[in-house]
Amino acid sequence: MDKNEIAPHVKEIARVLEGKVEESKIEEELENYLNVYRVSLDTAKRSVVKGFGGDPNALNKSGGRRKVTDIKGGEASVDILAKVITVNPKEIPASDGKPARQIVYGIIADESGSIAYTVWDPQRFQMRPGDVVMLRNCYTHEYNGRVDLTLGNRATLEQMPKDSLQNIEMSAPVSSSAGGPAKVSELADGMNSVSITGRIISVERREVPTEDGTKVVFSGLFEDETGRVQYSAWHDFELKPKEIVRISRGYVKSWKGVPKFNFGEKASVTRLTLDDVPDLGSGKLKPRTILDIERIGGATDALVSGTIIDVKEGSGLIRRCPQCKRVVQKGACRIHGKVDGAPDLRVKAVLDDGESTLTIVMNRSVTESVLALTLDDCVRQAQEAMTTDVIKDIAEDKILAKPFMVRGNVLSDEYGLMMIVSEASPVEIDVKEEATKLLADLEGFQ
Amino acid sequence: MITREMAWRVFAAEFNASRLEIKGEGDKAPSHLVTPLGAAINRIFVVGVLTDIDNIGSEEEPMWRARIQDPTGTFYLSSGQYQPEATAALSKIQPPKFVAVVGKTRTYSPEEGTMYVSIRPEKVRIVDAAVRDLWVLETCKATIKRIEALKEAKEMSQPTAEALVKLGFNQTLADGVIKAMDHYGEVDLQRYKESVIDSLKYLLPETQGGLTVHEEVSDMPEEIEDEPEESIDKEKVVLQFVETLDKTGKGAPWDDIVKAAEKANIARDELDEITNSLLDKGLVYEPALGRMKII
Repeated sequence: MDKNEIAPHVKEIARVLEGKVEESKIEEELENYLNVYRVSLDTAKRSVVKGFGGDPNALNKSGGRRKVTDIKGGEASVDILAKVITVNPKEIPASDGKPARQIVYGIIADESGSIAYTVWDPQRFQMRPGDVVMLRNCYTHEYNGRVDLTLGNRATLEQMPKDSLQNIEMSAPVSSSAGGPAKVSELADGMNSVSITGRIISVERREVPTEDGTKVVFSGLFEDETGRVQYSAWHDFELKPKEIVRISRGYVKSWKGVPKFNFGEKASVTRLTLDDVPDLGSGKLKPRTILDIERIGGATDALVSGTIIDVKEGSGLIRRCPQCKRVVQKGACRIHGKVDGAPDLRVKAVLDDGESTLTIVMNRSVTESVLALTLDDCVRQAQEAMTTDVIKDIAEDKILAKPFMVRGNVLSDEYGLMMIVSEASPVEIDVKEEATKLLADLEGFQ
Repeated sequence: MITREMAWRVFAAEFNASRLEIKGEGDKAPSHLVTPLGAAINRIFVVGVLTDIDNIGSEEEPMWRARIQDPTGTFYLSSGQYQPEATAALSKIQPPKFVAVVGKTRTYSPEEGTMYVSIRPEKVRIVDAAVRDLWVLETCKATIKRIEALKEAKEMSQPTAEALVKLGFNQTLADGVIKAMDHYGEVDLQRYKESVIDSLKYLLPETQGGLTVHEEVSDMPEEIEDEPEESIDKEKVVLQFVETLDKTGKGAPWDDIVKAAEKANIARDELDEITNSLLDKGLVYEPALGRMKII
């Protein structure tokens, strides 16, 4: 390796050592490792840094700054120069004996796009929106097709001059297009500066603890003609149920794929009337396709129709542990051993519309209405038949291969979309009428 | 993300004409059977008449073979010990019955260039005629969509999946259509369109040409003399033979049908044509060699 090739690495080591050691000395030492001891470049660099009392973890392994849009999931060491767009403190509650901790999450962007980040130790990284920072040794992972950047304990942050990064288009984040007006069904994780127009369905005042003391948040459901979304207002806009409003400069964060609309002080709320938004209608939900929800990753209170093509194991009459509510198998709870389980009804099924599929889960009350049987009826029938299989059989008889309209919140995980059904009803289709129409269309084109 | 493969709605005629299988790459990657109209099927949803069923395996290691008819043709099912739920369900079914089946595609290529396709069921359930009618309607709609996508692709000088997506077709279908075009070349869209029209008429027995299972021949007006009606008339006659000559419940013996047809002035080759048509329409089936039974 000659001097020219070594030069950038010498500079990098000098940076890590914060100028405490002369470059000529570094070069000499590095050459020694490389050309005399013939160790690998990475090892050589680490050894040199260590030898001079620096932190080898601050070295940049991947070699140079990366663009946000080039970053993939599962990378162990990423360096990027980016502008801080949002900084949100968050408390992770104590669990499993671990104490509660403060973290920070938000969005940073460079000229190629934006990416969500998480900081596990906010004490070490002070950053404010608008800062331009050089982040080194971050790692990434992918969740629901979205890449997140994490600043762990190996990461370093360096404040940079504001003009070292130009042309940041915050209206072009990686995960979605953003900015300007959007329909509820278009809201997707990471969108910024979005405005939505529609009706406030509910408002609930809550107090949440944050790093800067207790904050008041107003949250509830919002709808337009395309669907519903949960919102959180971090400022009191005196929202009232049934009000028709335009909310501008909000942003979207997803939880388990379900988009949530957030807005704070910077947002504005304009009061409107139904005349301004005639499309809004009476608030009757319109059905959405599974593909449509899949693109977003989730939905709040969505209406979907399709055919039920599978009723899964564990559907029908089940027993739950009276202590932990887990399903009891063969008379025993996984945690509490032999218990006298309380009977419950549920159905896990697959809804398929010929374009995509959705797992649906129906709780006791939905199952009772679909089966037209109460829990007590089912317990009695299972006793008579001497098996609970009979209830799954009844459920299959009622719903399998039949078209249904289901309503509920849709989440996503690594197995795809899942709806927690709040209402389910069979779809009545006039086959003859539709066939006649279709036939007329087809023969018309001949 | 490990997502569940969706279930395609495809008629038997389209399904059975498939000759392109795309194997998934890597561990557990799903394979897809691409139909001439571009459905890339891993899982399929079918509702039709289960006309006959046999256990070609043994008591201990059952292997059930079944045939399911739709308005365009026959689906072949095979289900063994690795499909315990479907196998148990099949073993209890006495044909003929309307059944709904969800299953995965299977292919068998005894030699280069030939391919037999069948369904390995995951779920088999007896349903009623209303569910079958719904499936036929839904499958008509899905088939029309594929025909439209293929038609659009044919009109492009350089057909691509992206261009089809821009026209509003979903990505899965767009990809399938391009693969189908590459493999099958010129596909007779008119034929598939006609099979959709026939299937719609099947749902509307009152429209001309639509035959239903339950119509009695005597209910037909006798004055109808029009040429095009003649073959349908003769179909009715043969259909009645099949019904009345079935003395045992095991189906009418073929020889008896031939004799009866002769007396009714239906020539032998004409009879073959008529019975083929009835088989195709799913109005009769062969419970055993040399026997024919009304569904």
